Amino acid sequence: MRIPSEGSFTSRLRSAAVAARVGLWLGICFLVALVTGLISHYAQLDHQPAPLPASPSRLYQLTQGLHVVAGTAAIPLLLVKLWVVFPKLFQPMPRQVREALPTALERGSIAVLVSTSLVQLTTGVLNVAQWYPWGFSFRSTHYALAFVAVGALLIHIAVKLPVVRDALTGDVDDTAHDRPNARRPGPVSRRGVMVLAGASALATAFLYTAGTVPNVGRIAALSPRSRKHGIPINRTAHSAGVVAAASSSAYRLEVVHGGTTRSLTRDDLAAMEQRTCTLPIACVEGWSATGDWGGVRLRDLLDLVDAPRGREVRVRSIQTFSASADTVLPPNFADDDRTLLALMLDGETLSMDHGCPVRLIAPDRPGVMQTKWVSRIEVL
Amino acid sequence: MRGIRAALILLGAVGMAYGAWLLVSRQDLGQIVEVAVWLAAAIVIHDGILAPAVLGLGWRGGRLLPRAAARGAVVVLVLLGPATLVAIPVLGRFGAKPDNPTLLDRDYTQGLLVFAILCVCAGVAVALGELRSPHPTAEEE
Repeated sequence: MRIPSEGSFTSRLRSAAVAARVGLWLGICFLVALVTGLISHYAQLDHQPAPLPASPSRLYQLTQGLHVVAGTAAIPLLLVKLWVVFPKLFQPMPRQVREALPTALERGSIAVLVSTSLVQLTTGVLNVAQWYPWGFSFRSTHYALAFVAVGALLIHIAVKLPVVRDALTGDVDDTAHDRPNARRPGPVSRRGVMVLAGASALATAFLYTAGTVPNVGRIAALSPRSRKHGIPINRTAHSAGVVAAASSSAYRLEVVHGGTTRSLTRDDLAAMEQRTCTLPIACVEGWSATGDWGGVRLRDLLDLVDAPRGREVRVRSIQTFSASADTVLPPNFADDDRTLLALMLDGETLSMDHGCPVRLIAPDRPGVMQTKWVSRIEVL
Repeated sequence: MRGIRAALILLGAVGMAYGAWLLVSRQDLGQIVEVAVWLAAAIVIHDGILAPAVLGLGWRGGRLLPRAAARGAVVVLVLLGPATLVAIPVLGRFGAKPDNPTLLDRDYTQGLLVFAILCVCAGVAVALGELRSPHPTAEEE
């Protein structure tokens, strides 16, 4: 097979006017994913220099939902964008070294941009479906590559800025920046390409990410999660290896402040004043579901050991391995009236997989930090 | 404009360097090599397999199909293609866990099939619309 040259591509749909517009949408998706991703990583820090607000309680649900929606919507947009600019892959390199060097640098940055973008979107989609066909850490890699991808994107925008500005201020059917032989009409118009790319982005994002959204979740046919079985579960008691310890009569919840320790059985907790709160579980994987939680206010437990307000509180689980084994609540979360050690969910005793005997539920926190099977609460 | 472009390039280079440092400083060598393999594979799979396959489809479709049918085919391809790629992990149920019924709890083959039928309906509607309009619109000439 003959290797094509840039001139082999003659469709007028492969135009800077289209690339700039689809690129703009793609850039918006990347910006949303970057900002919401940084928020999510910050929210998972054990000691946040400036604690995130505990209100509104649904803020993390919103930002992480947007993160996954923006990333999924970017997939059709990226594929269309790459189709539009594909001829550039076959551009000849300039002969003279003085011109070849900047060209090589620019094309190198494009290669980095394309490959990190593809890997970011692919690993993100796979993480939502909990498929990890790799040995690296998803979290560290997704975080690191985000900076590489966005860095390469900024360089790409800088290089293309004059063309982008021209293209975006002109008409979509403008041919000012087209290759001279890219004149053959396509089966659809340029506007048609834009409409299709946008529709595909919206449809793909809806189908893959809206599974737990009330009312419409049922028709989000490709979502890995639904509300069919109530609030979804990420790690079961069995896979966390806590079944024996969590159902044992020797179970105690320890509340520790300095030299003072109180040991409480589940019955002791049930005998304390019970509160109810409507709060979401919002997973880093983008799904979220709201429940009516019932249990003891964390602040009431802290009062048992005379802990002052304004302190950080470490919450430990029976499970020992994994990132969710213990978390630190910043003072504004620990003292919040809505932060509960929950014994009940939606009017029923908490199930083993939801964290029985008792789990943490606090407003505006990543689901992975809503510690299940709590065994120890420690005032720091 | 010159200043903005220089600032963007500088900021971009800093971002790339920081990301690369994060990548190599937080994992062991085997993991870093695997990330590099994924980065290279992404380019090879897109530029070497996916893009040529779509080009081939476009080239053949452009020759074999009448204009109206080609329009319909493009509609189906752009709507259904990306959704099908995204559906691979759930269709294969690769992440399924026997003790967790709340994960991958739908019939994804059926779901994708229904979406495919909707896409074909949209394609047919667009093709019929083209057949009914006697002349191509000005913007496509």
